[in-house]
Amino acid sequence: MTGERGRVTASLRWRVLLALSLAAMVPTVIVGALAIMRARDDVEREVDRGALAHIRALGAGLDGTLQDARRTVELAAASWADAADDVRATQLLLKRLRRVVPIVHSLSILDPEGALQFGDPVPANLDVGLHSFGGYIGDAEYTDGRPVVHLVVQARGRTGELMGVFVASLDLGFVRVQLADARLGHGARVVVVDGAGVLVAARDDRHGAEDAAWAHGPVSLAGTDPAVDRALASTVEGTLSANGWVSAYRNLSSYQSRRGLRWAILHQQPERDAYALARETTRDTLIIGGAALAIALALGGFIATRLTRPLAALARHADAIASGSTDDPPPVHGPGEIGLLGQRIDEMARRIAERAALQSALARGDRLASVGVMSAQVAHEINNPLTTVLGYAKLLQEGKPDGHPDREALELIASEAERMKSIVGGLLEYARAPRQTASMAAATAASSAASCDPAAVLRHVAALLEPQLRRTKATLAIEVTATAPLAIEAHALQQVLVNLAQNAAQAMAAADIEGGALAIAARPAPGGIATLITVTDEGPGVPPADRGRVFDPFFTTKAAGTGTGLGLAVCKHLVTTAGGSIEVGDGPNGRGAEFRVVIPHAT
Amino acid sequence: MRTVVLITVALAGGACREPAVRPPAIRFLHTFGPQETELFNTTMVERGIAVESLLAPFARGQQVINEILHAQNCPDLIRIDATWLPGLVAGGLLAEVPAPLVALDWTPAAAALAQLGGVWWSLPQSVDGLMVIHDPASPAPASPSLADLLAAARAARATTGRYPLGVRVDGYWFVPWLRDEGGELAAPDGIAGDGAVRAMTKLAALFGDLVPPPPPSGSEDPEEMRRWDAHEVAYVVTGPWQFAGLHDRERIAVSPLAHAPRGGQLLVVPRCAKHPDDGWRLAGELTSLAVEARFADAFAAVPTRRAALEAAPALSRAAEAALSDAAMLPREPVTPLLFDDLQPALWAVVAGDATAEEAVAGVRRGWQRLTRPPAPPAQPTQPPEPEAR
Repeated sequence: MTGERGRVTASLRWRVLLALSLAAMVPTVIVGALAIMRARDDVEREVDRGALAHIRALGAGLDGTLQDARRTVELAAASWADAADDVRATQLLLKRLRRVVPIVHSLSILDPEGALQFGDPVPANLDVGLHSFGGYIGDAEYTDGRPVVHLVVQARGRTGELMGVFVASLDLGFVRVQLADARLGHGARVVVVDGAGVLVAARDDRHGAEDAAWAHGPVSLAGTDPAVDRALASTVEGTLSANGWVSAYRNLSSYQSRRGLRWAILHQQPERDAYALARETTRDTLIIGGAALAIALALGGFIATRLTRPLAALARHADAIASGSTDDPPPVHGPGEIGLLGQRIDEMARRIAERAALQSALARGDRLASVGVMSAQVAHEINNPLTTVLGYAKLLQEGKPDGHPDREALELIASEAERMKSIVGGLLEYARAPRQTASMAAATAASSAASCDPAAVLRHVAALLEPQLRRTKATLAIEVTATAPLAIEAHALQQVLVNLAQNAAQAMAAADIEGGALAIAARPAPGGIATLITVTDEGPGVPPADRGRVFDPFFTTKAAGTGTGLGLAVCKHLVTTAGGSIEVGDGPNGRGAEFRVVIPHAT
Repeated sequence: MRTVVLITVALAGGACREPAVRPPAIRFLHTFGPQETELFNTTMVERGIAVESLLAPFARGQQVINEILHAQNCPDLIRIDATWLPGLVAGGLLAEVPAPLVALDWTPAAAALAQLGGVWWSLPQSVDGLMVIHDPASPAPASPSLADLLAAARAARATTGRYPLGVRVDGYWFVPWLRDEGGELAAPDGIAGDGAVRAMTKLAALFGDLVPPPPPSGSEDPEEMRRWDAHEVAYVVTGPWQFAGLHDRERIAVSPLAHAPRGGQLLVVPRCAKHPDDGWRLAGELTSLAVEARFADAFAAVPTRRAALEAAPALSRAAEAALSDAAMLPREPVTPLLFDDLQPALWAVVAGDATAEEAVAGVRRGWQRLTRPPAPPAQPTQPPEPEAR
């Protein structure tokens, strides 16, 4: 049974833990995966945007420098064309051009046939493209130890006629200088290539602007770098991920080769560096997600244990009930429905226990009923001898003069015989009274007609109790301030008080209280229509939980076999039969017990 | 667990990036504009044809192509302007069109463009030329003549009070006026007579009178479209290449223009092409009925196949009809080079910097220089002293 219950509890606990784990894991994994993917997309987008913005800014700077030079040369060419024959003015113009366009490396003016007119010699292999509209920027070349391009501008005069061609070799060192100012991310590089893919300048985050690319002459990246190929085939801008590199490219619109192919600027960065933030985000997400998952599992385990513990207790409780254990198991507490179930099971167990006790009491009651029948028969049988004893005692008493030494003993014999008859009669009456309403009414009527002196009864009780009190070393104090006759038979009141006093003495003796004080007091009750008789002791008292049941038949707190549970029931029966009431409470100063008997005055 | 596995697989899949660059397939050097390039790329992707595109600016396309071909850096297919064809043929740079492609249902104008000396050197990709477009609310000129076009424009000016005519300061636009005066875009005689001076004078006189002042060079296209959309002009001398940028195509009516030049775009395969069959295959795709219809729908381009023309939008068919009497420019290698001198001269006259006589004289000298046999470059006998830096 225990093993099976353990397996069930463990299974339930693991199922709850599994459910909680899934409830925690599924959203964690989904949210984590979405966060990772989102972060990756965002980072990729931002990397592309950032790289494009970077090369736009760099490209704008390069465009601006070149366009400034180009427009200046174009304006100079147009001005020169209207006075092409003025040698002095031409030389002055060239001098000024070199001054205001610092990137000019060499400057030449050719006639419409392509022959050199003024300025520096033109490389023999340079096709200046006389008939290109307006002019162009040539491909990058390596001249005099430096990268240059040739700017060709048609010089047309006022009438639009071609008067010559300006050829300006521009030093591309400014490209490297401008790239040197670029702030690059880890591992990133920026390169500028001409229309043939020749590397014009480059910079990376570690070495700064490179000259090394030109150390061995022009180097073309076309065909070797897919991003360069893509850039040269595009007229706009874009991004590309290839070969482990993230590249953003943009055409430099003002830089066109003689073949009309635009230059391009590229920002390139290894994927591992470009997407480092995404990787870190992924790592952090996994760590946080894992930690959250671990915490969720721990909490799930705790909650599963908390949820299943009351169930296990309930199972034990049910086992105890099933096995008929008399041990009172601790109440089961739990959240919600489990707690409610525990309460119901507790209630059920209590009722089962009560029913069992009632059944036991009923069984004992049956036995006592049999004893009662026999007692009634015995009482009936002894009633006649008692009558005889009483008769003869009174007869002998009448024969003795006052003051005779036997008279007092005879009176005692007579009175005790009377009391015995009364007890036997009360016992028979009690046995019949609960089931015989008519008898009760008659008894009530009889009680209402009865009358007794409380002082006399109390004195008589004291005399009766003296031997027992002496044995238990208890002290008895009698106080009588009420004198009105009471509407109860003296024997009944005497039986009530003797019962209460004996219970008190036995309780103190059972509690090993020697010399305990027992007090019986009769005083007028408030209202003046009844007398309050209190019986107090210094014993352990009656627990509040038992106070509602001490007057029930067969209820006893005494050790088994030492009490019938009828004494207080008889007391209550006698008092209520007389129209009074009886209750129990704490003794004076909270010690012991106090029975309060209220008996109406006789009318 | 299955969810975790699926997400992990998805993450792993998402982390995989597509291959960077596909290996080049058909190398295609073209002069498409940005919108045409976009449509071309989309079409090729949809048709599953791998193309490595090379862009060449139209303004210098002929020189670019010559350089590329002489450098033996050959593409498999080239899109050229029809005026470039004689130069390329004269240089022996082109391959003849395979017979099956010649046998297709080309329109007469397209077939004429594609041939030179009776030989099919190219496939016609589109036909274009100058015509007059106007709002249907504006009446068509009484005849294609320049006089009636100007009369209609003057009438429109009386109605709107605005500049009613759009003409570009461009040598190509000058051709109808030159022809109207008996000249031709032919060196050197085409510019020799007084007709050229009269033509330039008449054309320049339009600006500020019937024609709004020209926009700065290089911004003609957007400015013309803006003026058209704003209804600032009633008649515009233009070509089909501009239809793509015009809004409200349904309100465009087309009229022929007398003496208008006619041209077009051709597809040629260079002799040095490494994969000429692929080049012709791509040319066949670009001139297929489906692709021609697509370009006609998108840009109102004039198809070169009869079937495609019959199915083309009304504007495309109207443009083709308006060009029926237009004449091709002289089919000489030098023809495209003539604009280099003509255009600055025209600008000088329109701007008032020079008289037509001065400008035409300059053009004449330039054209004579172009037609002279090339001489070896001569160094100056007395190069000037290098000036101080």
